[in-house]
Amino acid sequence: MNRHQRAAARRTVVLMTVAAALLLVWVFPLIWAVVVSLKTEAEVLAYPPNVFFAPTGQNYNDALVGGFSIAPSLLTSAIVSTSTTVLTIVLAVPAAYAFARLRLPAKKSLGFYTLATQMVPPVGLVIPYFLILNRIGWLDTYQGMITVYLTFSLPFAIWLMVSYMEDIPVEMEEAAFLDKASRLQTLWHIIIPQVRGGIAVTVIFVFLNAWNEFLFAVQLGGNTVRPVTVAMYNFVSVEQTLWAKLAAAALIAMLPVVIIGIAGQKQIVKGLTVGAVKGGSRR
Amino acid sequence: MNAQAKGRVVLKGIRKTFGSFVALDDIDLEIEPEEFFALLGPSGSGKTTTLRMIAGLDTPDAGVLEVDGVDMTFAPPGERDIAMVFQNYALYPHMTVRDNIAFPLKMDRVEKSRIQPQVVQAAERVRIEHLLHRRPGQLSGGQQQRVALARAIVRQPKLFLLDEPLSNLDAQLRLETRVELKQLQRNLNVTAIYVTHDQEEAMTLADRMAVFLDGRIMQVGTPDEIFNRPQTISVAAFIGSPPMNLLPATLDGRSVTLEGHSIELRSAPPCPPGRVTVGVRPSHLRVDTGGIPARLYLTENLGESRLLNLLIGEKLIKMRLTEPGDFADGDTVPVLFDAESIHLFDAESGLRIDND
Repeated sequence: MNRHQRAAARRTVVLMTVAAALLLVWVFPLIWAVVVSLKTEAEVLAYPPNVFFAPTGQNYNDALVGGFSIAPSLLTSAIVSTSTTVLTIVLAVPAAYAFARLRLPAKKSLGFYTLATQMVPPVGLVIPYFLILNRIGWLDTYQGMITVYLTFSLPFAIWLMVSYMEDIPVEMEEAAFLDKASRLQTLWHIIIPQVRGGIAVTVIFVFLNAWNEFLFAVQLGGNTVRPVTVAMYNFVSVEQTLWAKLAAAALIAMLPVVIIGIAGQKQIVKGLTVGAVKGGSRR
Repeated sequence: MNAQAKGRVVLKGIRKTFGSFVALDDIDLEIEPEEFFALLGPSGSGKTTTLRMIAGLDTPDAGVLEVDGVDMTFAPPGERDIAMVFQNYALYPHMTVRDNIAFPLKMDRVEKSRIQPQVVQAAERVRIEHLLHRRPGQLSGGQQQRVALARAIVRQPKLFLLDEPLSNLDAQLRLETRVELKQLQRNLNVTAIYVTHDQEEAMTLADRMAVFLDGRIMQVGTPDEIFNRPQTISVAAFIGSPPMNLLPATLDGRSVTLEGHSIELRSAPPCPPGRVTVGVRPSHLRVDTGGIPARLYLTENLGESRLLNLLIGEKLIKMRLTEPGDFADGDTVPVLFDAESIHLFDAESGLRIDND
């Protein structure tokens, strides 16, 4: 091994150590949750903690099909998150395209107000939304919850998609127009396939936010609409907290997000448009 | 020219401004069917804006655009039956070459069964039939350029617009493609409008050309006309490599006086005595004992010829020398201005003074 190789090896070791340390901080709650979810309630509270124990799947069973099952809430979360995501994409893609390309009056200020909605602290909106939904009878309804989520996800999604669309050379659209494609055909055949990566990223973020949302869900939902984040409280009561079942429920609730993240990863990384234009790899 | 030939383009009084910048100022132009017409000019001269106007990608502030006698000024691009090759080719990166070429046919609602044969035919014309399954990102610049050409010709458009299509190719490939492009246009019998800043490209390809400067058309004509009879000083100063030498002089009857030396013209030009500008191409100057003495400043060796940079008084001129001759920098060289090959321009208006 020569001097340069040694230096490179040393650098790798240092980098890996730092990365592992940082990762440990982040991953510790997860590890704790996994460990706790495999213990019995008694073992969770044992002191000193048992490092060695016989793992049990009972908590998962209880969380899914037990008396306080979170299964119905998983379905609710799925309905709310999926609907929010689908509606967001359907509305945000054409909106972002318009922002990116059309010569609209007051385009700049529209863009600013779109983003400004993201700057308001969500907690300040809980009461107004509660009053509005109450007035129109949408409290604790799917349409109420999804509409409220859209008010957050849409501006974010539009803002994210605009940057992807602006990256596409205008000539590509002009070529499509000359080839007799309409605006919508151009959007469908030329633009959308090229921003698939951007759409994937947006889907992941919007779904994740909707799935993880708690504040609005707990205030504006209730019995009919009880997402899994709220249902987690099934295991927390005045008398006791069922830590093991809570941990199991948390891990189950986490699963869809993790799966979507892994599945979408490939899309994001894939440089779809490389080589389209002379000079090539813009993305 | 036959009467049914399609693709006659007429621009009348076209004007376009971007803010306070006048991109096009009163453009009048007639392009004949099946003509290979070049729009030549430096960048920012308005040639690309004119092409975009014809394509419908921009609309003029004033003026009329007619194609085959029909007013197309504000028609959307898709209704113009035009194909265009962009400078960066604008290929669709997510589609294969086959799908790229088929796209115009699909949008034109051509029957599915007829699309494939046409795609293959267009690909064969530009010799890329072996690349149909690839994506644009897997092709070289020259191949991408051919895909763009195939996509443009597959629909057999009325007009074929090319925006600096060769500028992204390396020098060798550019020369080859130039010839093929001309051949292709002839075979297709289609009007081609070609934007370029490269005068050699315009001269070799075009049947006729328009020279753009500062948003105006300075001259329209065949390459020969533009080269041999530039109508203004600005065209004379733009065309030719290196361009024409332009020197201030005075005219009195048949006699042109230049830096104290006089040249006798064959006949007196039809204009009053006064200040003029004399133009002479570097290749039209000769070394001759009867010439005007000039000091050799620098010699550039171009291989086939040498370019002598000479000072007449304070004025730098260039002379192209093909015959041998032993000159050292600093020598005095007698330069003969042949009365037959000089151009005269009015010093005030910059317009050509015709003398024949």
